Amino acid sequence: MTSMLNYMGLGMVACASIAATPAYANGTTAGTSITNTATVDYQVGGVAQGQQSASNSFVVDRRVNLLVEEVGNATTEVAPGQTSAVTTFQLTNSSNEILDFLLTASQITGGVATHGGTDTFNASNIRIYRDAATGTPGSYDVADVLVTYIDELATDTPIRLFVVADIPAGLPTGAVAGIQLRATALEGGTAGTQGAAVTQTAGANTAAKDTVFADGVGVNDANRDASHSDADDYTVKTATLTVTKSSRVVSDPFNGTTNPKLIPGATVEYCIAVANAAGGADATSVAINDSVPGQLAFVAGSIRLNGTVTGGTCNADGTTGGSYAAPVVSGTIATIAAGAARTLIFQALVN
Amino acid sequence: MRTALVLSLAALLPGQALAANQVALNNSVFVERVSTDASGKQRVLLEEPKVVVPGDRLVFVLNYRNAGAQPADKFVITNPMPSAVRFADAGDTQSLVSVDGGKQWGLLSELTVAMADGTRRAAQPADVTHVRWAFQKPIPVGGTGKLMFRGVVK
Repeated sequence: MTSMLNYMGLGMVACASIAATPAYANGTTAGTSITNTATVDYQVGGVAQGQQSASNSFVVDRRVNLLVEEVGNATTEVAPGQTSAVTTFQLTNSSNEILDFLLTASQITGGVATHGGTDTFNASNIRIYRDAATGTPGSYDVADVLVTYIDELATDTPIRLFVVADIPAGLPTGAVAGIQLRATALEGGTAGTQGAAVTQTAGANTAAKDTVFADGVGVNDANRDASHSDADDYTVKTATLTVTKSSRVVSDPFNGTTNPKLIPGATVEYCIAVANAAGGADATSVAINDSVPGQLAFVAGSIRLNGTVTGGTCNADGTTGGSYAAPVVSGTIATIAAGAARTLIFQALVN
Repeated sequence: MRTALVLSLAALLPGQALAANQVALNNSVFVERVSTDASGKQRVLLEEPKVVVPGDRLVFVLNYRNAGAQPADKFVITNPMPSAVRFADAGDTQSLVSVDGGKQWGLLSELTVAMADGTRRAAQPADVTHVRWAFQKPIPVGGTGKLMFRGVVK
């Protein structure tokens, strides 16, 4: 053979260096026929001869791949009794074909939740919503659509899903419920209809497009099973309030404010201190009610709210407020932060 | 996956001495699979394109043979890239490539591509639209050869 070319045996081809396989998001649509055609032009005795060509074609198979990912990488803090607490996930169809996806939300029982903490309770009324383009895209709102499967999901277009559940009442701070969301690929092609399960082509290659599962391992699915899953969790954060009531004699008619004694006509100051345990949530709209004993006469305008406590002793501070409807003294403190204590103080005269 | 081999004669020009001069061309494709053995060494296997999914590396192999009775001169093999395949390399077969649909030809390192802002950048393998081998010497009677190039399923 005389030519400028090196003879290339297949063995030599196989020895050539291989670059890393490029990552294609979705790639050529399954079922596409790839045809390669080469042509030869040549001359014999200086006369151009007819062009010859050779072709070769094959069909691109279907690679089923999907990704379920938790969004935010943080637990969802919830209050006991909260309804429609939201965890957020993202589903991506990384296949080379439009597919349906069945969704399954489940809860773990015991064990360590994905963001730490031991699973101790189950949420109720678990639903799955698909984020809608209307309303507030990216956040759970009334515009989002309750779903059990995703219809005709385009390739390489992540969609946001919300797993929404109700939290039981009476849970302590730190209680954890682990949530898992699994998506399973279903046949696409018919809009508005949940497709049948996809199956991997078993055995020999067929003339039609074949199916290859290429998905990875999730939190509750196996490698290459046309499913993928991820986990999130709810962590209860509540306010734990303790109330203490104390009193002191402020003055009496004879001693004034110097070493006053608890005699008729003396002024008594009551302090109701509400402490919120550290590590929990802020307590808001804390309403305090206290009945004035029958032997005492309430001093009008003496209620002070939102005072502070130092070393377990009420400081005689706060701002005037509250109300009195005989015999009950009432007042509302807007916010008691976790780890803080606030007071309601009022005065009464000894009959 | 079906594979089809088609060998056809394009329209013949009348009045030329063609009958006795034939060049046979054969076009086949393989999927290149890389496996790593226990010692970390990479092994490359070439398989029939039975299961092909996006991202797979393909090796296209062209076999030619001068089956005629006289040497074939000005021998040029041209292979347009299938639209769903991105060109990777042509090994050391010294191919010419085109990045503009077959208008200009050259070594990949010598070609440039026009940018939107009017400047030109160096051509990349992904820009290749055609591969061509132009033989400078005639192919003797009975002479055979093998050419290859690699691509990646988009």
